Amino acid sequence: MEHNPYLPQLARIISIKEEVGGARPIKTFHLELLNGHRFDFRCGQCAMISVFGKGESMISISSSPLIKEYLQFSILKMGRVTTALHEMEEGSIVGLRGPYGNGFPLEEWKGKNLIFIGGGIGLAPIWSVLQTALRQRDDFGQLTLFYGARTSQDLVFKDELKKLKETIPVYLSIDVKEPGWNEYVGFVPQNVLDKKPSPEKAIAITCGPPIMIKFVIKGLQELGFQDDQIFTTVENKMKCGIGKCGRCNIGHHYVCKDGPVYSWARLKTLPQEY
Amino acid sequence: MEKVLKKSDLGQWVARLKDFDLYGPVRENNHWEFNQISQLANFPEDYTQVNVPLKKILLPNREVLFQFEDNRNGGPYLQEVLPEEREVVVFGVRPCDARGIVLLEKVFSSEIPDIYFERRRQQVYVVGLSCYPLPGENCFCLSLGGGPFSTKGMDILLTKMQSKYFVEVLTPKGEKLIKAAPEYFFNPTDKDQQERQQLERKARAMFTRQIEGVEKIWPVLSQMFESPLWREESYRCLKCGICTYLCPTCHCFDITDEISSTAPLQGKRVRVWDTCQFPDFTMHSSGHNPRPDKASRLRQRIMHKFLYFVETFGDIMCTGCGRCVSKCPVGIDIIDILNKVASHGA
Ligand SMILES: Cc1cc2nc3c(=O)[nH]c(=O)nc-3n(C[C@H](O)[C@H](O)[C@H](O)COP(=O)(O)OP(=O)(O)OC[C@H]3O[C@@H](n4cnc5c(N)ncnc54)[C@H](O)[C@@H]3O)c2cc1C
Ligand code: SF4
Ligand code: SF4
Ligand code: FES
Repeated sequence: MEHNPYLPQLARIISIKEEVGGARPIKTFHLELLNGHRFDFRCGQCAMISVFGKGESMISISSSPLIKEYLQFSILKMGRVTTALHEMEEGSIVGLRGPYGNGFPLEEWKGKNLIFIGGGIGLAPIWSVLQTALRQRDDFGQLTLFYGARTSQDLVFKDELKKLKETIPVYLSIDVKEPGWNEYVGFVPQNVLDKKPSPEKAIAITCGPPIMIKFVIKGLQELGFQDDQIFTTVENKMKCGIGKCGRCNIGHHYVCKDGPVYSWARLKTLPQEY
Repeated sequence: MEKVLKKSDLGQWVARLKDFDLYGPVRENNHWEFNQISQLANFPEDYTQVNVPLKKILLPNREVLFQFEDNRNGGPYLQEVLPEEREVVVFGVRPCDARGIVLLEKVFSSEIPDIYFERRRQQVYVVGLSCYPLPGENCFCLSLGGGPFSTKGMDILLTKMQSKYFVEVLTPKGEKLIKAAPEYFFNPTDKDQQERQQLERKARAMFTRQIEGVEKIWPVLSQMFESPLWREESYRCLKCGICTYLCPTCHCFDITDEISSTAPLQGKRVRVWDTCQFPDFTMHSSGHNPRPDKASRLRQRIMHKFLYFVETFGDIMCTGCGRCVSKCPVGIDIIDILNKVASHGA
C-alpha cells in the first residue's frame, strides 16, 4: 500500500506525570504504539500528536532513541490540542505520526564535551541527547547541564535532575529569588557566563525561549565558542510536518524537515523569521 | 503528434469521452469557472480565463484526509479517505494554469509524495487552449519562460483557427483521448501549420505587461530582506488572501478536525486552503509571530515565488497568469513590484 503521510498511527498513553502545576502546567507523557509497532527516531526529532476532534501538535521526543519501551513527550498546556492532552488519562488513545525533522548530529560529536543549556520546556529536546550521551558515556567527554526556569516550580524533570547531579555537573537557575533556593538566581545566559564553560573540544546545545537562545549564543561567543560549536532548535508553527503546507519556512528552509536543529553557523545565514 | 479537428467536430469528439468526467469553462454571473459539463460544442468567443484555477481539481479547497470515530472496544478507529477513482478531462485550460500543475508537482510529488495529490494528478487529463487573443490585460507569462502557446503540463493543446482546431497531442494520455474518436482527426496541411505559427507570433506580440530582466530578480531579492519596498507596497493590503487563493501555484494549507458528534466521537480530518497573507498563519499559541506585519507577509509571497522556490526547485513559482493583479481589491501589482526589484539590480 502507498504510504499516507497524513494518517497517524494509534498510540496509548501508558503514563502521565505532572511536572509543573499552576498557570503554565507541564505534563510528561509516555506513549506506546498499539500493536507493538516500533517508532524509530533520532535525538532532536519530533512527532505530530493527534487528539482526534481537536487537531495535531508538533512535540519534541524527549526520551532517548535507545529506550524502546516508550516514547516520552513533555507538554506545556497552551491551546486546543495541548489542553485536551492535559485532560487525558492513562490508557487514552492518541494519534502519532513522524518522526519529523533532522535531529542532532550526535555521530559528529563523538569525543567532545557536551554543554547543555536549557530554559523552561526547552529542556525536552535536550533531554533526549543527554539521556543518550549518558547511556553511551564512553563516546563523549564531559557532560554539563545548565537549566533554568522562572521559578523553582517551573523546572521540569525535578526528580530526574536531583539524580543527575550525582553523575554530572548540573547548574540550575531561577529568574527571581525564592526562600530555600540555594542555587543561582538570574537568567540562564548569566549563569553560563558566571560558570564559564570552556570551548575546548566542546559543543553547546541550547533550547528554550527565543530571547534566552539569543543571549546564550551571545554569551557563548564571548566565551570563545565558534558558531559551528553552537547548536539550537527553532520552533515555527507547523501543520504537515513534511514540507508541503508551506507554514514553517525560514527562507527556503522548512523547519519541519530541514530543522528544527541548526548550528548557529547555519542559522545565522537564514532570515530572522522564527 | 499534430492533428487538426474541424470546429464543428469538437462536440462529436467530446461526446465520445463517455468514460470520463468532463470539466470545462462555464459562465457564472460575470466570470468563468471550471465546472462539470456534459457536452462541449465550442469555446465561446468571450471565454477568457477561469476565476479559480485548475489547481482546485488537484488540490480541492476542502479535502477529507480521513475519518475518525470512537468504537466500543476502546479508542478511535481511523478510516483513510482517498480521492475517488474517476478520470477527469478538463477542457480549455490556459497555458499558465497548466504550467501551474508542473510547479505543484515539484512540491507534492517530491521527497515524501502526497498521495492525495498524486492520485488526482494521475486521473486528470489536461486539454489546453492556447491564448489568441490574450485572455487578460495582466497576462505576463512571456516574461517568465511561459507563453500563450506553452504546452507544459498539458496532454493536448488546442489552437482555435479559422475553421479548425490545431491539435498538439503531447503525451500518451493525450493520445488516449484522440483514440476515442480517431475519425475526426486529420493530419495538418502546410497551410494549417502556417496558420498556427502565425497566430502564435501575433499572440506573442500582444503583451502589454512584462518584467524587464527577470534573471536579475533572484540575486537582487536575496539582498532585499530588509528593503523598505515591502512596507511601501503592502500598506494598503486588506489581508483578504485573494492573491493566493486564486493563484495557480499557491498551495499552502491548514489541517483541521471537523466533528459531527462528540459522544460517541465522530469526525473528519480535513485540509483546507490557507494563505501566508493571514496574520495567524504563522502565529504561535503564545502570540509570538515571526511574520507580524503586512510587509513581512508580502515579502514572503514574493520571496517564496521568486527566490526560495528557485533555490529549492530551480524554477519560479509564478506562471504570470495575472490573477493576483486583476483580482486584488486594492490593486497591489506583482508586476510593478517585480520591476522595482529588478531595477534595484540595474
Ligand atoms: C519543532 C517543535 C517542537 C516542539 N516541541 C514541544 C515540546 O516538546 N513541548 C511542548 O509543550 N511544545 C512543543 N512545541 C510547541 C507546540 O507544538 C505548540 O505549543 C502546540 O502546537 C500548541 O498547540 P495547541 O493546539 O495547544 O494550541 P493552539 O493555539 O490551539 O494552536 C492551534 C494549532 O496551531 C499550531 N501551533 C500553534 N502554536 C505552535 C507552535 N508554537 N509550534 C508549532 N505549532 C503551533 C498547531 O498545529 C496547533 O494545533 C514544539 C513546536 C515545534 C515547532
Ligand atoms: S503570483 Fe499572481 S501572476 Fe503569478 S501565478 Fe500566482 S496569481 Fe498568477
Ligand atoms: S489580494 Fe491584495 S488585498 Fe488581498 S491579501 Fe492579496 S495583496 Fe492583500
Ligand atoms: S509544517 Fe508544513 S511545511 Fe513545515
